[in-house]
Amino acid sequence: MSSAAFDAEAPPGTTKLAERPEVTSARRRRRLNLLSFAIMLLVWIAATGGAGFWTPVVDPVFFPSPLAVFEAFLRLIENGYQGRSLGHHLMMSLMRFGIAFGFCVTVGITVGLLMGMNETVQGLLDPPIEITRPIPKLALLPLLIIWFGIGELSKVIVIIMALFPLMSISAMQAVRGVSRRKIQAAYSLGATRWIVFWRVVLPASLPGIFTAIRLSLGVGVTMLVGAEMIATSNGIAWMALSAADFLLTDVVLVGVLMMAGLGYSLDQLARVIERRVVHWSGKDS
Amino acid sequence: MSIQPIDLFSAERRRSARVIVRGLEKEFGFGVAAVRAIDTLDLALGANDFLCVVGPSGCGKTTLLNVLAGFEAPSAGEVSLDGRQILAPGAERGVVFQQGALFSWYSVRDNIAFGPECAGKPRAEARDIADGYIEMVGLEGFGDRYPYELSGGMQQRVGIARALAADPDILLMDEPFAALDQQTRELLQEEIKRIWQETGKTILWITHSIEEALFLATHVLVMTARPGRIKASFTAGFAGETSHLVTTSEAFTAAKRTVLGLLREESIKAQRQEEVA
Ligand SMILES: Nc1ncnc2c1ncn2[C@@H]1O[C@H](COP(=O)(O)OP(=O)(O)OP(=O)(O)O)[C@@H](O)[C@H]1O
Ligand SMILES: [Mg+2]
Repeated sequence: MSSAAFDAEAPPGTTKLAERPEVTSARRRRRLNLLSFAIMLLVWIAATGGAGFWTPVVDPVFFPSPLAVFEAFLRLIENGYQGRSLGHHLMMSLMRFGIAFGFCVTVGITVGLLMGMNETVQGLLDPPIEITRPIPKLALLPLLIIWFGIGELSKVIVIIMALFPLMSISAMQAVRGVSRRKIQAAYSLGATRWIVFWRVVLPASLPGIFTAIRLSLGVGVTMLVGAEMIATSNGIAWMALSAADFLLTDVVLVGVLMMAGLGYSLDQLARVIERRVVHWSGKDS
Repeated sequence: MSIQPIDLFSAERRRSARVIVRGLEKEFGFGVAAVRAIDTLDLALGANDFLCVVGPSGCGKTTLLNVLAGFEAPSAGEVSLDGRQILAPGAERGVVFQQGALFSWYSVRDNIAFGPECAGKPRAEARDIADGYIEMVGLEGFGDRYPYELSGGMQQRVGIARALAADPDILLMDEPFAALDQQTRELLQEEIKRIWQETGKTILWITHSIEEALFLATHVLVMTARPGRIKASFTAGFAGETSHLVTTSEAFTAAKRTVLGLLREESIKAQRQEEVA
């Protein structure tokens, strides 16, 4: 080592991993998360008769206990719902969501990146995106069904319409926010425009893009309810909606909880990927 | 062995110059809102020159550097390197920023290998080159770390190594040590001097510290308050010294007093400008 200034700086990696504050705080957060889930479950159990110890606050027909919902879940796994297996319903929902989400991640983000990079593209694409953004997309569903039929296409499109502006505008803003210094530094190191895009603008935009992806996971799952509201006979959201017509509240809750679980686990997955890919996010240097 | 006034644009200097700045003017904005940052500035920089620029805040130092780097176009006049007009940023002019210009998503090694890779070197070779510069700036063992895992001083070393690895003809540095503490700064100053002696690069170095300027530079340029012109320029005789102890010598103190006097006049003017505005 060539200088003493360097020795004065504490060498990183000397503390054990578990002692590092960020690790312990992550562990603490996980514990609190578990506790929070446990409390929610307890409140539910208490409200629905404390597993038989007292009379339920609400009639079980309207608000079944966790156990009843779990039994309904097992029944659904065994017998399916309305002639189709639970797995089939889940797969249909996942497919509708997955296609729309995949389209928005690839096309929406690409369009957003182009808008951020190029004033002309932005000038052309900004109005259509901004005008359609405030429209409640579900209001368009009947129209979409007239245009695209009652098949899968109109359902996928209604989800896309909700996610696309979110993704493209976030990607555009992420590009806009890339530090000018870093771009200048890259050009001064001999980078071409192409290299600057791939090796500076794109990675620097990733944290913003990940935020948008996580946001749109939540919105996308919510949009499933809308997409499966009319002209379907499958899907998790459809199952919950149609079960409500027959006052099968336990099935409704199975559907609702499955969607919540889907949204939650997708978000957790996205978080894990985010931490890996953009581990440097928020720690600028 | 002290400082001597010199004409940085003399015929003799121009003959052997690598960088020529001739009649440079730079204005921002238009009409009544126009701000004149630089006013007719002439400058010739030779190979192995280490020019430190000092001047009051807002006098156009960064603007001068931006024009030389090719980030900004001059409003009038011309700037050239080795006879070629400077129109855009390029690898022959390396830039080191005060902070925040490292690629956070790359490790130290990949940051430094960026320049060689842009020059078309294969990845393995670029990484070898990077390792050489990692050693030069004293960051052995930190090649796989990310910038956010380093202290401010270490980050500046990476910035310097990254600029050097692209093998530029001239290094442009805008207050590279301004955000560092005094001790780290002094040690890094000694090191940059060693690197300058080893590599023989032409350096243009902007600083607010007169001491830093006198310790490092072969030439010191004092700028006027905005619009920036040359107030005075000197040759400095301390560039050959390796240790910071020289800054306590009598000759150094005398030189410091001279430059300080000039700079104070301009700083007061700059202050008044701000009060009027
Ligand atoms: N992009 C810009 N647009 C408008 N005005 C600018 C721009 N860049 C610089 N200026 C103005 O030009 C003048 C010189 O700025 P410059 O950044 O070159 O000063 P400086 O000498 O580097 O100051 P400091 O020592 O504080 O860094 C300032 O008055 C500044 O407001
Ligand atoms: Mg400046």
